[in-house]
Amino acid sequence: MFQLAPNHQDDIVRTSKVSFTFDGKSFLAYEGETLAAALMRAKLLHLRDAPADGAPRGVFCCMGLCQECVVQVDGKTIESCRLPVSQGLHVSSLRR
Amino acid sequence: MITDTDIAVIGAGPAGCNAALLAAEYDFSVVMLDEQVSPGGQVWRAKSPAILSAPETPESVAGESVRNAISQSNVTHLGGVRVWHIERSEDPFVIHYENAGVSCSLSCRCLVIATGARETIQPIPGWTLPGVVGMAGATSIFKQDLIPIGSKMVVSGTGPLVFFVAAEQQRLGGEVAAIVTSNTLLDWIKALPAMLLRPGLLFRGLRWITAMYVNRIPIYWGHTVTRVEGESSVSRVEFKKISKDWTPQGQPRFIECDCVSLGSGLISAFESFQLAGISLEHNSDLGGWIPKQEQDGRTNVGGCFICGDGAGIRGSLAAETHGKLAGLSAVAFLGAKINHSIVKLRREYARAASFGEAMSKLSIPRPGLTKLTTAKTVVCRCEGITRAEIEDEMNLGAQSTISVKSGVRAGMGPCGGKFCQTAITDLIAKTKSCPVSQIAPPTARPPLRPISVNTLAGDFDYSDLPISKPSPL
Amino acid sequence: MGCASALQMAEGGMKSIVLDQGDLGQGASGVNAGTLSLQIKRVKLMPYAIRGHQEWESMGDAVGFRKTGGYTLAFTDHEAELLHERMSLKAEAGAPIEFVSNSALREAEPNLADQVVAASYCAEDGYANSSLTGQFYRARLKQQGVQYREGFKLLGVEACNDGYVIRSANTTVSARKLLFSAGAWLKSLTALMGVELPVQARVNTVSVTERLPMLTRSVIGHATGLLTMKQKTNGTLLIGGGWQGRGTPEQGRGQVDTDSLRSNLALARHVLPAAENARILRSWTGFEAHVPDFYPLAGKLPGYEDVFVLGCVRGGYTIGPYIGKLMGDYILERTTELPLFDPGRSFPEVVV
Repeated sequence: MFQLAPNHQDDIVRTSKVSFTFDGKSFLAYEGETLAAALMRAKLLHLRDAPADGAPRGVFCCMGLCQECVVQVDGKTIESCRLPVSQGLHVSSLRR
Repeated sequence: MITDTDIAVIGAGPAGCNAALLAAEYDFSVVMLDEQVSPGGQVWRAKSPAILSAPETPESVAGESVRNAISQSNVTHLGGVRVWHIERSEDPFVIHYENAGVSCSLSCRCLVIATGARETIQPIPGWTLPGVVGMAGATSIFKQDLIPIGSKMVVSGTGPLVFFVAAEQQRLGGEVAAIVTSNTLLDWIKALPAMLLRPGLLFRGLRWITAMYVNRIPIYWGHTVTRVEGESSVSRVEFKKISKDWTPQGQPRFIECDCVSLGSGLISAFESFQLAGISLEHNSDLGGWIPKQEQDGRTNVGGCFICGDGAGIRGSLAAETHGKLAGLSAVAFLGAKINHSIVKLRREYARAASFGEAMSKLSIPRPGLTKLTTAKTVVCRCEGITRAEIEDEMNLGAQSTISVKSGVRAGMGPCGGKFCQTAITDLIAKTKSCPVSQIAPPTARPPLRPISVNTLAGDFDYSDLPISKPSPL
Repeated sequence: MGCASALQMAEGGMKSIVLDQGDLGQGASGVNAGTLSLQIKRVKLMPYAIRGHQEWESMGDAVGFRKTGGYTLAFTDHEAELLHERMSLKAEAGAPIEFVSNSALREAEPNLADQVVAASYCAEDGYANSSLTGQFYRARLKQQGVQYREGFKLLGVEACNDGYVIRSANTTVSARKLLFSAGAWLKSLTALMGVELPVQARVNTVSVTERLPMLTRSVIGHATGLLTMKQKTNGTLLIGGGWQGRGTPEQGRGQVDTDSLRSNLALARHVLPAAENARILRSWTGFEAHVPDFYPLAGKLPGYEDVFVLGCVRGGYTIGPYIGKLMGDYILERTTELPLFDPGRSFPEVVV
């Protein structure tokens, strides 16, 4: 049947789930997806607090440019939209 | 001179891939560098490793095709690396890039820069709230991670992306609360002749719009979101009708949502060109500041060629052909005898470009757009600087992008001014009552992306420190 | 320097106009690391530097002035020798510099590298926000009713009855006297007057990081002069040290040299290991002009009575506001508090 606007949600096959932590809280993600996507799925949008005024910030440009989605892993600052999730990933936020 | 490679191509989108593939046909060594792990750029962005299989889309098909071509060719693809500086020297070009935390360099005899575009978003109250994403940004998530964003999305902006984002959000299982587009039906009717050049896309677009109507998703033509509201993330938007020059007017209306996708068009990611020594010029039809260019991707810098959306927003089809032309210019520069028909390619390019330009026209900013940025709206997101603060700085005499940056730090944060420069330039132009084309972007400075001290410093032995003559006492 | 001179002249009742090819302060003072350290000043220039510091202190918050105190570090015996020798002489010249023990250093600056062999300290040292220089002087000039024009590129100068006519592409300005205070561009400008000054420009590199948790409170220097480091109140770390980039003032802006940058940052990491993961957001260069004897040019342009030159002050950022005042006084034909430096003096051979 000709579908004007198909819904392909159920036709997508993904890898198995792995667990990671964000500020100590445990979450699940499909292995290899970006941290940004995993957190979006978990409805965790508030990733960071702006240094100037403490305002909540999150993913914005989704392509590694705006630096809004940065998090810390092993002391290194990295954009969550460019960070693939692997089992046991421990992420700290730059929230106040 | 001996260089690491004959030709380096920066950017693995439609333009870069085509430039690299064609150059490789001429037996030159070609290295193609790109930030993403797989080739494809933004428009043909590859799926993440988390996706084992998914229904095809025209973009995924085109992307797979080019990825296969690259892997079967002699092109050396350096994926997942971040170019941070382009040096012109005796080599004559050296590209510095980060690869897994290590800084590397690549010298080449000639360079093709295909760094593409990024989007520009007019700052509005609340645009910094979590849940607000760019439209091109949303498509990145859709293509790479295949998830909808938020449960209920409002899409607001210009050009065809508005409909693409809404359609993809739905296809991936999300809900679209409304489509709010600055363009009117009349704008689109004017673009119809050019769209007939690409009937497949036209049909696809019509399908999306029809689907929206069938699913009763409101499309507000000639409207724009004026404010995003929420506590720690988006909870609703305010939107208004806009006049012909895009000034918001009339009564505000509201839509509840948890995600807003905004976009005011695409602009060239021109920093690489600046570092390479290419002059910029302003062209509103092609996205604003673009590199000065001659035919077939040639520039004022010998041995440096440009192609794709970075050279002006003309769309992916034009980018493919432009890439081929730039690739041919590069091999010709190195002395090869060309056996492709440049005339034919130029014709293809011109056709494809006129379609792309018609799409870009839909996003050319109109005077009312800057009115969306109120005095209290944060313009420089990184540093949290509002329009009022920038205007105060200008009233104190700061009359150029450089002095506004120095005075208020606007543009000095981690994003390097990528998301505030367009708006700041508009404000300066308004204050000085001169066209935007007279307000040059600030000096480009490396690194092109934030890079850690460790990566840049590498292995360091204290004894390597040059014991120079002490400075005069 | 030009602005400070103009302001002093205005105070003395002389009308002047300040012309800059770009934005005020963007040639040098707006693009350096902002270090105000007596420890890196020449012995003979110490009295000028001390007064320069006082000027910066009086400018205060408007230029982001901070008196943090500064440490100079030595990591080898050779460096320690150099440190002791030079800092003792500078202390004798009036700078409040003292040597500090390792334990005192560790208490004040716990994040600095362990391997420090010797350290000196000056309580007067600190920094200002160099990028606020232009804004500050623009405001002061306006306040004092001194005219200025930015984007004025000088193309030619002609003598006329009453003085001189200065030409840019679009306009002319006439004046009875001229002051050239164009730093690294002095050579080409004074050439228009038929004078050849042996001005050379170094191309100093500065880098800035993203915001970091506070790791250091003082201005940090190195016995060799090859590092300056300071963390601003907003958490960003500013790294300098005179590592050379490429380019000349005539070409416009200089370019960062990646080998230089690597060494500069490696040294910074050695001194402050906690900064290793800090991300650099921006690296740039600024020109620092000097003449072969590394003392200022401050006085009449050789061969002229009404044309003056001011520049090439090693440590010009620190000393600039003060020597600018002296220059203003000199042009007003007042006695200057401290002597100036005759540009017509003979210089040692230029060794390239």
